[in-house]
Amino acid sequence: MNFELSEEQQLIQDSVARFVQENYGLEARVALAAKDPGFSTTHWQTMAELGWLALPFAEADGGFGGNQIDVMVIMEQFGKGLILEPYLASIVMGGGALKRGASAALKEEILAGVIDGTYQLTLAYAEPQSRFDLHDVTTSARVDGDSFVINGAKSMVLNASTASHIVVSARTGGGQIDESGISLFLLNADTDGLTREDFPTVDGLRASELAFKDVRIGADRLIGEVDKGYEILNATANDAILALAAEAVGAMEVLYKDTVAYTQEREQFGHPLSDFQVLQHRMVDMFMEYEQCKSMLYRATMEAAAGDPETAQRTIHALKHIVGKYGIFIGENAVQLHGGMGMTEELRVGHYFKRMLVIDSQFGNADYHLQKFAA
Amino acid sequence: MDIELSQQDQDFRQDVRQFFADNAYKAGEDYAEWRLEWFKKAAEKGGWDVPKWSPEFGGPGWTPTQHYIWEQETARATLPWDMPFGVGMVAPIIMAYGNKAQQDRFLPDIRARRVNWCQGYSEPGAGSDLASLKTRAELSADGSHYVVNGTKIWTTAAHIADWIFCLTRTDDSGKKQEGITFLLFPMKQDGIEVKPIITLGGAHSVNTVYLTDVKVPVENRIGEQGKGWTYAKGLLQHERTGLAGLSRSLVALEGLRDNARSVPRGNSTLMDDPAFRAKAAELEIDLMAAEFTELRSLASAAAGAAPGPESSILKLKGTEIQQRIQKLTVEAGGIYSAAWGPKPVGNSFAKGGMAGYLASRAYTIYGGASEVQKDVVAKNVLGIKRSSR
Ligand SMILES: Cc1cc2nc3c(=O)[nH]c(=O)nc-3n(C[C@H](O)[C@H](O)[C@H](O)COP(=O)(O)OP(=O)(O)OC[C@H]3O[C@@H](n4cnc5c(N)ncnc54)[C@H](O)[C@@H]3O)c2cc1C
Repeated sequence: MNFELSEEQQLIQDSVARFVQENYGLEARVALAAKDPGFSTTHWQTMAELGWLALPFAEADGGFGGNQIDVMVIMEQFGKGLILEPYLASIVMGGGALKRGASAALKEEILAGVIDGTYQLTLAYAEPQSRFDLHDVTTSARVDGDSFVINGAKSMVLNASTASHIVVSARTGGGQIDESGISLFLLNADTDGLTREDFPTVDGLRASELAFKDVRIGADRLIGEVDKGYEILNATANDAILALAAEAVGAMEVLYKDTVAYTQEREQFGHPLSDFQVLQHRMVDMFMEYEQCKSMLYRATMEAAAGDPETAQRTIHALKHIVGKYGIFIGENAVQLHGGMGMTEELRVGHYFKRMLVIDSQFGNADYHLQKFAA
Repeated sequence: MDIELSQQDQDFRQDVRQFFADNAYKAGEDYAEWRLEWFKKAAEKGGWDVPKWSPEFGGPGWTPTQHYIWEQETARATLPWDMPFGVGMVAPIIMAYGNKAQQDRFLPDIRARRVNWCQGYSEPGAGSDLASLKTRAELSADGSHYVVNGTKIWTTAAHIADWIFCLTRTDDSGKKQEGITFLLFPMKQDGIEVKPIITLGGAHSVNTVYLTDVKVPVENRIGEQGKGWTYAKGLLQHERTGLAGLSRSLVALEGLRDNARSVPRGNSTLMDDPAFRAKAAELEIDLMAAEFTELRSLASAAAGAAPGPESSILKLKGTEIQQRIQKLTVEAGGIYSAAWGPKPVGNSFAKGGMAGYLASRAYTIYGGASEVQKDVVAKNVLGIKRSSR
């Protein structure tokens, strides 16, 4: 057991931290989020050049063979600046599905572009009726000769407006909520019959509703085996949860530290707010839950990296539960302790708080994972 | 003790329902006209346009039970748009501390909703510690007017208000609660600049108000110079009892359950999810108790007693419940609560739910932040004396 980062991880952490420090002040973030494409293509290129996009891919595929711990190191720093670039969507979600299931030919065709930033991926898994269940899939893929024909809808697809390729889950067999009978496909974003409705999310990111009308796709675009996509999907979702939790932990740190700083500057009743014991205790609670989330993040990430999926699965449920619950707790209290200022868009805390809310809604909220854990 | 409503009270409820039905807004009607007409008709019912005013000023003089019934019924009906600052906040001050001329001048317009008011209390340096406010009002040499300079912040609706009631400092030689003067003045005049503040959901309701050499005739001063704090404190009490919103919360909870029934969850709906049901039930239980806390408080007020200890917790409990309902609405919205485009995505309530939740975070900040309210309860109700500070 050892919690030290390797020298390489330490270097990456420092360089990501520097990038965030230099590029992701609140004003810069707000300006990027406000105009298309909703992030900086220059930053995206920088991330490719620094090798961050290559990190979790196998060396054979042109990557650095990193694991969940390496991604955690990056995402935690990203969380401190609420980075807008589609790292989660393209590298962790879309890339995660491809590296697990794609054929050698498909990997060869796509991954180099993902790693150098020319291609951008995302994963379309949620549906209007599915809520948080990955296995609730009604979008269908019907066999027709040596291709499939996809019909249905996908919801809240992260960064789909800029994606070049979309990994889609569709039903090739079984009933609506069966884990078997789900297959994954890699679609070009401009495929005929695929339409998008794009919109911002409350945290300043972008998402889309997708509709599939007789979308024809070759069997060679299948990721993994027919009907066996769920396992890949779930493993990818687990990686996404780990990445989101790392981002959340970075954001929580900003929330509690900004609050500690603000209450020492702001005076009321002739005292800094931080003199008031009830506020001190609240900030200790915020700090305590931040540390708890960080511990659970380490636990889950290390278990996942150790390659023990069953143990890791339970811990990942636990992680998503407490990150959702305490992320919102810390956000609400950061706002409360800032008083009226916390309610404005002028300070960071409000923006980080909104990100906490969205993180809770992605890949299952606190209640959902509590029930999974208890089951 | 008797929990049954008397025949009289039941008739009253019927009467209220009938009134709301008869005067409901009809599609196509001019809204502004309908609104003023509604208040006129309510006035003809005998003060239904100003339920909390005393009969001396045209209020209905209802019993606590009638107030309770009114609150329940208004939570369900669609009433015309109204703001609390006129009828609910400045009018009680004018009635209690204003002179006859001021009452004649201001109350009719407030009552008819012809004039919109805003509340100029908070300042950048004076939030919870309101008494430390610094906006200066200097009496002119001839004693005819004040000259006001300073900055007010978080002023809700300042951008649409016609008048402001404002706390100003006329003396800083003594205790900070002394030397505060209560002034009324029009918003649309030279020397007043209103700058919007955008809050978390992207909404514009609050503002910064810059006051530069604003002339206010002495006739617009309420009561005595230097006594404004005493007047404002009475008003804050009014403001707080109005903020619990329990009946509205009960209706909101019903709405939330309806929404949850429309959210698919596997082969059933979210309303069949035991964890969700339990959270909604917990809220209902807290509301059932809080409703009776409110009734007890109304009853002791009607008996002429000072607001009982139970009233001090209403704002705290009521706002906490409102926030929990909003939070559960966001949870019910599921993946769609993140969507923030111009139109709703996925389901009809998620976007409004998120906006409502974000706005609700202010409920425990304004009208006395919860932490400070609890200090007040500890000191004034529990009688806890502190040895220092
Ligand atoms: C949406 C909104 C609308 C508003 N509308 C109006 C309006 O129309 N007119 C108007 O005049 N004002 C208005 N306000 C202002 C509101 O009354 C103040 O925000 C409130 O008084 C708190 O002051 P503050 O924001 O300066 O916070 P602060 O006083 O700085 O408080 C920050 C935090 O410190 C805590 N704190 C402060 N003192 C203590 C203490 N002694 N012990 C323990 N904790 C303490 C508070 O509870 C809070 O959590 C509005 C505010 C908001 C957010």
